[in-house]
Amino acid sequence: MRLPRLVRTTPFRLTMLFQMFFAAGAIAFLGYIYIATAGEAARNADAEITREARSLETVYRHGGFTALNEAVIERASSTRPFLYLVMSRTGAPVSGSVGASPIPDPPDDHVWASFRLTETDADGMPVKRPARGLEERLPGGELLFVGADVGEAQSYVVKILNALWGAAALVLVLGVGGGLFVSRDVSRNMNALNEVINAAQLGDLAARAKVRGTGDELDDLAAGLNDMLERLERSIAGLRHAGDAIAHDLRSPLTRLRARMEAALIEAEAGRGDAVQALRQALDDADGVLRTFGAVLAIARLEAAASAPDQTQFDPAALAADVAELYEPLCEDKGLEFDAELAAGLTVRGNREFIAQALANLLDNAVKYTPAGGAVMLRVRRRSSGEVEISVTDTGPGVPEDKRERVVERFVRLENSRNEPGAGLGLSLVAAVARAHGGRLELDEGPGMLDGKGPGLRVALVLPAE
Amino acid sequence: MRLLIVEDDLEASEAMVRGLADAGHACVTAPDGEAGLKAAHAGRFDVMVVDRMMPKMDGVAMVESLRQDGDQTPVLFLSALGEIGHRVEGLKAGGDDYLVKPYAFAELIARVEALARRRETGSVQTHLRVGDLEMDLIGREVRRQGQEIDLQPREFQLLEFLMRHAGQSVTRTMLLERVWEYHFDPQTNVIDVHISRLRSKIDKGFDRPMLQTVRGAGYRLDA
Repeated sequence: MRLPRLVRTTPFRLTMLFQMFFAAGAIAFLGYIYIATAGEAARNADAEITREARSLETVYRHGGFTALNEAVIERASSTRPFLYLVMSRTGAPVSGSVGASPIPDPPDDHVWASFRLTETDADGMPVKRPARGLEERLPGGELLFVGADVGEAQSYVVKILNALWGAAALVLVLGVGGGLFVSRDVSRNMNALNEVINAAQLGDLAARAKVRGTGDELDDLAAGLNDMLERLERSIAGLRHAGDAIAHDLRSPLTRLRARMEAALIEAEAGRGDAVQALRQALDDADGVLRTFGAVLAIARLEAAASAPDQTQFDPAALAADVAELYEPLCEDKGLEFDAELAAGLTVRGNREFIAQALANLLDNAVKYTPAGGAVMLRVRRRSSGEVEISVTDTGPGVPEDKRERVVERFVRLENSRNEPGAGLGLSLVAAVARAHGGRLELDEGPGMLDGKGPGLRVALVLPAE
Repeated sequence: MRLLIVEDDLEASEAMVRGLADAGHACVTAPDGEAGLKAAHAGRFDVMVVDRMMPKMDGVAMVESLRQDGDQTPVLFLSALGEIGHRVEGLKAGGDDYLVKPYAFAELIARVEALARRRETGSVQTHLRVGDLEMDLIGREVRRQGQEIDLQPREFQLLEFLMRHAGQSVTRTMLLERVWEYHFDPQTNVIDVHISRLRSKIDKGFDRPMLQTVRGAGYRLDA
């Protein structure tokens, strides 16, 4: 048989387990209370009886047997809550408020006894009430009995006990009820989470769990789930975007290649044109397409990844010096002054290969767009913010401020760069590398206008502080 | 040279065999890793060209198994997976070089020939000589016809690589990978500029140029 769903939930089971411990604790507690109160009542009664007996003994010592008899007769007729009996040496009753001692054998010294007292109630019916009594032999050999009705004290204990049992029952009811309530509450929140997970499994990655702001572990779970879905959604959107972009980006160069080959084929069939030259051209075109494909794929992968793979710690100045060494002769050949300012002692964490490639792209652009007689400056430094900047500044035409955001997009090339080789992916890759390292790409004006040239461009790859 | 081509794309395999045969090499082909392993055990080859992803047994597993059997034949991996991690994995498995698809044919031939050459010169050399060009690897000195040539450290490394592969075409990518240790494709002809500097140092003032440009492939240092 399956238990009801609510009863099977973890919170309910936990509540029940807790209830069990609580019940055990409550029973121990009640037992202790009972022993403490019942014992206390009996001890109180005994103390009262002893005090009364001592007081009568004092009377006996000062006034003898006669004075004792008088005192007992007087006290028995007062409202004192005691039972008295004075007996002769042989145990024969002399005076008191009871007819006979409830203790059958007169003691040599003293004896305590619990007994039942028969009284008649208001309706004339006999009732038995619990009582305690002390019988002792006086110095003259006579016997004194002092007793008390302890029914009041005992009924008080019983009242306490009943109250405690009632409280225990109440605790149990509230416990089980609370357990059910808590499990229903937790179950409801859990169900909300499960619904989100089910929706995600069915492909709805936009579903989000409600974060109630209570800061408990269920809230943490909901926040974690939302965070995971967020990343998943972004990553999938990134992949989809990359797929669309690749399809879009490769269609035009492939169309061009196809058109060129078709034209060459028609010419060759007509016996005109140079077939070898056409094939060579087609091969170059295909290489171009493949290069573009590689670049787009690299950018897409970087954009889809949360962070660049294979990261290590390295000195950015050493890497920059390495890449600079590769490009310096190129600058010289083109009549550009090359300068490098590399701060020592910095470390960055990242993918060396990607950062080297990004820097190579920046230098490539600088060399490509700076006219002869200009200058290219490579700089690695730590900013006051702690970030590490790897920047390339040139004295070329620069990028107008309103176009700086656009040139970073894939395949965007400015009007004056149309006749330079390249697909317009260089800066996009640098931007993707920067993002994959938690950094950014910054474009600024270079050193300004000089001799009608400039204003130049400063492109900075800014990596976060370690 | 005897080459073993292990490639599951039969058209690609056939094109490769045609091109390599044109370059004067004898090829044996296998369509998957298991067949490749059998062929490798059955014959002796100078170089194996192994596709990374194949049915039955992939290239990495095949080469790992070969290396465990003590077969040290140089292996060139071909792969559509071009990330650094993949390259490192391929080289760890016992591959000697890694070429990402698609590739230019000249690149494949240059790399296959470079691998075969590497096997021949097994011992550690302290001295290289190509024609009248000499390189002292310990003293870091280069002389041509006894005349000392002053080279920058990178130029020295570049020349060392060319001398070790004298008579063979080496591509720009190979130079970038081996001399500079970069695995990306620069947009401009940076390598050409370095070569032309080196050329001006070792060929200028001598009657015969040694550093040749190979059209469509790269460069070659001739004795």
